[in-house]
Amino acid sequence: MKCLGGLCVAMLLGVAAPALAQTWQVDAARSTLTFTNTYQNVEYTGQFRRFDAKIIYDPNDLAHAKFDVSVDIASLDTRNSERDHTALGADFFDASKFPKAHFVTTAFRKGADGKVIADGVLTLRGVSKPVALTVTFAPQGDAAILDVTAPLKRLDFGIGAGQWADPSMIGDGVIVRGHLLLRKANPQGGS
Amino acid sequence: MPLRSTEHGWGALVRAFHWVIAVLIVAQGVIGLSMVQMGLTPAKVRVFALHKSIGMTILALVLLRIAWRLTEKRPADPPAMPRWQRRAAHALHLALYALILALPLSGWWFNSASNAPLVWFGWFDIPGLTGGYDPVWKPRALLLHQTLFWVLVALLVGHVGAALWHHFSARDDVLRRMTIGPRKQNGGVP
Repeated sequence: MKCLGGLCVAMLLGVAAPALAQTWQVDAARSTLTFTNTYQNVEYTGQFRRFDAKIIYDPNDLAHAKFDVSVDIASLDTRNSERDHTALGADFFDASKFPKAHFVTTAFRKGADGKVIADGVLTLRGVSKPVALTVTFAPQGDAAILDVTAPLKRLDFGIGAGQWADPSMIGDGVIVRGHLLLRKANPQGGS
Repeated sequence: MPLRSTEHGWGALVRAFHWVIAVLIVAQGVIGLSMVQMGLTPAKVRVFALHKSIGMTILALVLLRIAWRLTEKRPADPPAMPRWQRRAAHALHLALYALILALPLSGWWFNSASNAPLVWFGWFDIPGLTGGYDPVWKPRALLLHQTLFWVLVALLVGHVGAALWHHFSARDDVLRRMTIGPRKQNGGVP
């Protein structure tokens, strides 16, 4: 086969990429990004209704896996309009100044219990911190369900610092859960 | 002072219910009117939590009070009272019972529709009435709660005014038998 410069590289990549990693499309309507926290020591659940996730994942090829997630902070919904309004304000998420949260993985590894851990960096309210997601991946033909969960501390990111720091008012610990329905972006060429 | 009411005066339990609930209602009115003026701080959240806890306490006390009242007879009205006054007094008392039940219930309903926590004095969690956030009923429950409050204020003006009128103008035992006890065992005829 003759090939010239860039065209040849493109062909090589085109052949090589599917074998190395599986790119997935997220079914946004059926995927959720939720979190649980406590308010006055009562647990509640909230969600971000708009987020964009780029998922490259093959459980047999963790070296090439990558999650890149961007969250629209203003899409917060905790089923309490006063709480949502307050949470988006300057004391908390400060959504007008920091409209997006961003998470990107840096490496994937197997934990002690055999579960996959995705190490990454979460940038939230202008603060970047390492965050480890526990990954559960269930392939079903050309589709898959990806569940990730991560414990965070809101005060690490300055959310509700100062007068709202008291954890008996608003818990510091937050469990974030992503539940993503995936479909192969390239079903014919997939690994 | 007997525990149970007699034909001549209210028993100790009814008087205790009356005055404890009265103090709590006045406190609720003051707290409720003040808290909505507060800027959003943790103190405001705590005052709201206190208002809710007191409200649920009133609800429980009113239910106990009604249950107790159903077991005993009320003292006789002063014989000097004309029929229309007796009817008006009994109607007002019935309306007051309805309101002091409806106020905490409407507050509880509003809180439930707002999906806000309700933890009784930080001690235990009281479930909601609406099955979570309900943006349709939430403003209606709030309007009801506020409207009932002002109706209660109006009725209490009548209630307190009538008690004072009985004491200072009619000079009967109506106020006395809810406080220190009747002067004489004749139903309050001057």
